[in-house]
Amino acid sequence: MVHQHFRLVEPFTVAENIVLGDHRDVGRTFLVHTRAIERRVADLSERYGLAVDPRARIWQLSVGEQQRVEILKTLYKEARILILDEPTAVLTPQESRQLFGTIRAMAEDGRTIIFISHKLNEVKALADNVTILRRGRTVATLSAAEAARRSLAALMVGREVELATRNDRREIGETCLALEAISAEGDRGLPAVKSVSLGVRRGEIVAIAGVAGNGQRELAETIAGMRASTAGTIRVAGKKLKGGDAREAIAAGIAYVPEDRLGTGLAPGLSVADNVVLKSYRRPPASRGPFLILHKIRELAEAVIQRYDVRASGPDVPARQLSGGNLQKIVLAREFSGEPVVLVAASPTRGLDVAAIQTVHAYLRDAAEGGVGVLLISEDLDEIRALADRIAVMYEGVVVGERNAETATVEELGLLMAGGE
Amino acid sequence: MNNALLVVVIAQGIAYGTPLLYAALGELLAERSGVLNLGVEGMMLVGAVMGFWAVQRFHVTTGVALLGAVGVAAFAGAATAAIHAFLVITLRANQIVSGLALTIFAGIFGLSSYLGNDLDLAKSPARHQFQEVFPSSWQNLPVVGPIVFGQSVLVYASWVCVLLVALYLSRTRLGLNVRAVGDAPAAADAMGLNVSAYRYAHTLIGGAFAGVAGATFSLSITPQWIAGLTAGAGWIAIALVVFSFWRPTLCLVGAYLFGAFSYLPFALQARDYSWAPPPELSQSLPYLMTIVALVLVSSRAARLRFGAPAALGRPYVREER
Amino acid sequence: MIRIERRLEQPRWLSVVVPVVSVAFALLLATVVLVATHHPPLHTFRRLFEAAFLDKGALTETIVSATPLAFTGLCAAVAFRMNLFNIGGEGQLYAGAITGATVALLLGGAPSPVVIVAMMLAGAAGGALLAAIPGILRAFFSTSEIITSLMLNYVVALIIDYLIFGSHSYLRDSSGFEASVFPQGKTLPDSATWPSWTIQGLVIPLGALVAVAVAAGVWFLYSRTRFGFEVQVIGDSARAGRYAGMRTRRKIVAVMCLSGAIAGLGGASQDGDFRHQLDPRGLIQANYGYAGIVVAALARYNPFAVLLVAFLLGGLQNAGYTLQGADFPNGLVGVLQGLLLFCVLGGELFIRYRLRFERRHAPATESA
Repeated sequence: MVHQHFRLVEPFTVAENIVLGDHRDVGRTFLVHTRAIERRVADLSERYGLAVDPRARIWQLSVGEQQRVEILKTLYKEARILILDEPTAVLTPQESRQLFGTIRAMAEDGRTIIFISHKLNEVKALADNVTILRRGRTVATLSAAEAARRSLAALMVGREVELATRNDRREIGETCLALEAISAEGDRGLPAVKSVSLGVRRGEIVAIAGVAGNGQRELAETIAGMRASTAGTIRVAGKKLKGGDAREAIAAGIAYVPEDRLGTGLAPGLSVADNVVLKSYRRPPASRGPFLILHKIRELAEAVIQRYDVRASGPDVPARQLSGGNLQKIVLAREFSGEPVVLVAASPTRGLDVAAIQTVHAYLRDAAEGGVGVLLISEDLDEIRALADRIAVMYEGVVVGERNAETATVEELGLLMAGGE
Repeated sequence: MNNALLVVVIAQGIAYGTPLLYAALGELLAERSGVLNLGVEGMMLVGAVMGFWAVQRFHVTTGVALLGAVGVAAFAGAATAAIHAFLVITLRANQIVSGLALTIFAGIFGLSSYLGNDLDLAKSPARHQFQEVFPSSWQNLPVVGPIVFGQSVLVYASWVCVLLVALYLSRTRLGLNVRAVGDAPAAADAMGLNVSAYRYAHTLIGGAFAGVAGATFSLSITPQWIAGLTAGAGWIAIALVVFSFWRPTLCLVGAYLFGAFSYLPFALQARDYSWAPPPELSQSLPYLMTIVALVLVSSRAARLRFGAPAALGRPYVREER
Repeated sequence: MIRIERRLEQPRWLSVVVPVVSVAFALLLATVVLVATHHPPLHTFRRLFEAAFLDKGALTETIVSATPLAFTGLCAAVAFRMNLFNIGGEGQLYAGAITGATVALLLGGAPSPVVIVAMMLAGAAGGALLAAIPGILRAFFSTSEIITSLMLNYVVALIIDYLIFGSHSYLRDSSGFEASVFPQGKTLPDSATWPSWTIQGLVIPLGALVAVAVAAGVWFLYSRTRFGFEVQVIGDSARAGRYAGMRTRRKIVAVMCLSGAIAGLGGASQDGDFRHQLDPRGLIQANYGYAGIVVAALARYNPFAVLLVAFLLGGLQNAGYTLQGADFPNGLVGVLQGLLLFCVLGGELFIRYRLRFERRHAPATESA
């Protein structure tokens, strides 16, 4: 199994990582025979085109090389079945091509390879058979040769759903969030967002569709000031932001519902009341000068609990004890209370039950009706089509297409999300 | 020749550095597995008192008595470390607080003094003590005499220990596993290693080494039982582990350097040098050098090459991976 | 097979019952130790209790022991609350004692209130400056504050030694023959003696009141101000702090300085309240800084609980001094303190987690 998140010991050499936990021949001896292991690793990497120096330390390697180490680990242990989970998510196109070469070589050796991917061209290029999973269920299994891209995309995203809730006609105002050729790096220092330009107008819900890991999280963090951009400018209501400063973004009126609710959006050990004022504690009524006004904070929290129907036994309960839906209600309530100009919501319904999802959707619509420009990041096309006015699709850090929500078809969007065009 | 300042300081630096070396080797093993144990001073004192007790009570020949005493000291140190291990590995307590608690529990106002008092050990000289092993003609050889041949068995044994620990960590499978457990417990767990077992074992071995370090004081350097006789050596040992970038061979060099620094003032005092720097300066150098070393390796790349094991001080909880 | 899992809810009663049971368990263990070494446990405990709180003058001495522990306990509590492990309270207390004594000697002629306030300020500044070093290193180079603050303890201990034993510094007493044979600090002027109040034989020094005021101040700061709010958030989740636009680095340095200042104040109180000179041996032997961390941990970093725990442990320590002698087990105080801490520390687990006993089954293996 090659995980998306590598299980490597960074200060170790490649050879040491490969032999770690190996319980056969060279690996079983008391002494570690570095030379012998390195020779074997070198042999394997030559045979399968996995160029990597067995003596290099992991932290010195690029992500692509680290992935080769993970694959070498399985080869070294003579695994017959390999599972690769979104292996190209962290690779450059050149590295991906090399990887495909390796995978073919391994298959020719009689190994079974399970390749998990959302990218159609990869699937078409590599696979013999394709199984499509949707919401934890097998939807179809077919041979890759006979599957057309379009039909695969349709199977991935599901049937066209009748949308009953699209009865809103909102006032669309002037542009309130303008991204001009924004680029940003991911956690590993590789480009994650590549020259994204996008505008959101007041009262409009713009969705960014795409499979997770295509730069959406990084884009959201850049807008919210938690990540510095490497190029481009962000304007809120016409005013240019310095960037990379969350406090500036908050002051400019950017509300942000982060993907990671408990830990980023909320401090898990702090009370509901504290979390309600996590951003507004600097201003009245939560504080006056340097002092907090606790009874006001309590009132604010009680108001939130009441108005948004948060199921908590009181404002003093630590956030960690609440359910996901209630946590999200608190985050949303707090972000709305800041009277934002723009609301960035990253996967706001992930992990929630149906009732909570409906509540979140209602909040987002309310926000737009109140004149807020909403940028919704989601993987769920049903959700996007139920809410958005415009849809931008992100693939590998780039906005690959923008569509009007009323005319876009699911097939077309699915194809864009899978990099099919 | 053999009275030259440099020779004397090196010879004594080795003698004074030996308990530091034992304690630091032990702490190094514990830290490599991811357990920070600030209770070194306490474990040393318990080792010192129990080792001394053994030597007073074992009515056998000198060699056997001393060997037994070192064994008892190691066991006592390991037993003390077991408290820390249980608290931080099984009960996931804060490693800093638990380590300090161990020092207080076992230290000068605690168990070691309690035992020393109760076993009535104070104020009597050791019945057996470690002495130079080589004939005096060897010891009188120029330069190498006092430095190499003028030491006690404990010094030579410590060289063997350094070698063994160094080989263990770099060349053996178990050593590789320990390093993985300390650097990336989640990866080690995924590879089927028992993280807790490795941590327990190395914390206990660390305690055993600290116990021997204490016995070095009560059976060789001092040699008698005085409450608190280690006088902060346990803390220097902790500094030494950092200073040597968690490497046993550098530990040896650092231990003798630190030992020499602590002996230098006495040597200078005895010789009446007019330009002698204040002893406090040379004594504070180990600590200052440790801080500087730590700052120097604080960039990410340097930290990965020279820095602390990545999971040092963090309890490992499986669900969190 | 015992499994440990996180509690979803932490019932209120647990945070009361668990510490009580922990303390009882510690006493039980101490009883075992005493019985095993042929000391009558009940008799020993009673004597300890009497020497700490009941005997004539015992309470006064207990306050003397408790005052520095309260300062160093607050010092640790302030920093640990933000997950900053400042274990340099020891050195920061020395630093405060040095600067406090220096200022007292320099201002000798000035009116007493001026000298006393200046000593407090100087002590706090000395501790804060020393604590700023690990703080800045942590904030800007991410160097572990644990090791750096620990190392500085020894550096300052050597500096204080040097000032009195190693040199003829301004702080050293150089009058007369005796002073040159037994070096000691210069006696501070009378104006630098902190006042105390006697209530029915119980002497309450100014330092103890300052400690109470500091505890109240810390409580207020951490529960009623924006600064304290930010410390709580960053301590709980640094990411949430960044999300809310907090300046994490500045806060690290500020909290370290505050923590050091409190310990430094404790050092100044040692000069003004009790020792009336810079007393290296006395300060270094007392180990206030390390004991303070124990106090803070036992108090679970709550400032008022720090006062209470400092009082109790101060009593224990005081009893240890008073009862030193052939018939009283030496070192029992440390053993008791250690056992208390082990049990309370271990007990924490039962507040956050619960144990589930289940039949041993094959451990879940993961295919690689």
